[in-house]
Amino acid sequence: MDTETGGEKERPRDDEIQAFHNQIRAADAEKLEFVGDKEPLSVLEDEYKAGSAVFLAKLQILKENYGSIRRARGDGNCFFRSFMFSYLEHLIVTQDEAEIARVEKSIEICKQTLIDLGHAEFTFEDFLGIFVEQLQSVIQGKETSISLDTLVERCRDQYVSNYVVMFFRFVTSGEIRRRAEFFEPFIQGMSNMSVVQFCRSSVEPMGEESDHVHITALSDALGVPVRVVYLDQSGDINDKPVTVNNHDFIPEGMDTSVDPYVILLYRPGHYDILYRRENPANVEPTILEQKN
Amino acid sequence: MSTPSRKRLMRDFKRLQHDPPAGISGAPQDNNIMLWNAVIFGPDDTPWDGGTFKLTLQFTEDYPNKPPTVRFVSKMFHPNIYADGSICLDILQNQWSPIYDVAAILTSIQSLLCDPNPNSPANSEAARMYSENRREYNRRVREIVEQSWTAE
Repeated sequence: MDTETGGEKERPRDDEIQAFHNQIRAADAEKLEFVGDKEPLSVLEDEYKAGSAVFLAKLQILKENYGSIRRARGDGNCFFRSFMFSYLEHLIVTQDEAEIARVEKSIEICKQTLIDLGHAEFTFEDFLGIFVEQLQSVIQGKETSISLDTLVERCRDQYVSNYVVMFFRFVTSGEIRRRAEFFEPFIQGMSNMSVVQFCRSSVEPMGEESDHVHITALSDALGVPVRVVYLDQSGDINDKPVTVNNHDFIPEGMDTSVDPYVILLYRPGHYDILYRRENPANVEPTILEQKN
Repeated sequence: MSTPSRKRLMRDFKRLQHDPPAGISGAPQDNNIMLWNAVIFGPDDTPWDGGTFKLTLQFTEDYPNKPPTVRFVSKMFHPNIYADGSICLDILQNQWSPIYDVAAILTSIQSLLCDPNPNSPANSEAARMYSENRREYNRRVREIVEQSWTAE
């Protein structure tokens, strides 16, 4: 980056650096599907056995309300990927056709936003189309209906999965720019970038990681509430009872007491999908374990 | 054969024909939709004014998920353009997004001409001259502009 100190001759070209980054990332990513299988939350205990006490204490608290996790690949798209699967899975389970009709209206507004911002429709319509296709196929009893297993397959398929992620990135970028005044202070709190620069460098390209700004924008634009549960090192186990922090992203105009069904587990730098316990009766043994 | 990338490129082409941004033009080669020729005109009231710079854009079947390889065919003198004509521009590398169509790519390259990014020099002589001796830099740019009229 520094033109003065590093003889330019030794510096690899940008495309070479990029190719190398991609190579590392690709090798890493292939160890895990875009979205994994549903696993009991106890797999995290094994993972953190030797880890921090705060983590383990928080995990015990999590287990009171949440039973399973589904991992997303750590390729920088994990928020969008988790959102996609969690939302579509919710629809396939609930068969909530009214919600699909509602979100399709939101998508129309997102489309208009992108056009108003000067994007040619053909630059995003394929991506939009793939998402709408998934929405329409989760309702059962039609020729195009798909099972949960097929949904998993599709969310693991590079074409479908990446197209939906890309569509969410467009929607997120459009929403941030449409409400630039609202998002500007948050963006400037994190970086020196303008709203447009932020969207160009941290939202629109694949593989750029997400944070509060992205989640707020996508949740607002699609009208889908999202809960993020934080499993991090904050808090001191010796100090006071450890608590697990949640943050609910409630779209503008929605009742704030709504209970989000898209629930994501955040560990620093990464999002996975979290599931509520299916059988709350199992809570007790967990609490006992914790006390022992 | 009509693949998603080819279909998309046809739409890119249609837009560029019907609604071309000022100062750029581009079209696929007759027998190959994946290889385009383009021309960028140097922006008015800048040292680049009057230049007609030729480029090629090579697309793959991964387009629009991956950017095309864009290269100047005309000789260039610019901090972010390599001797072989390839371009150091964020959206053509790690900040690519399918939201860009060919018109947007060419427009971005056009604005790069007058607004170089000193942080990623591809031509160290041009980069140094741009920051240390703008008058000489502008003179070299004018030379390039003149060459762009005659070169084939």
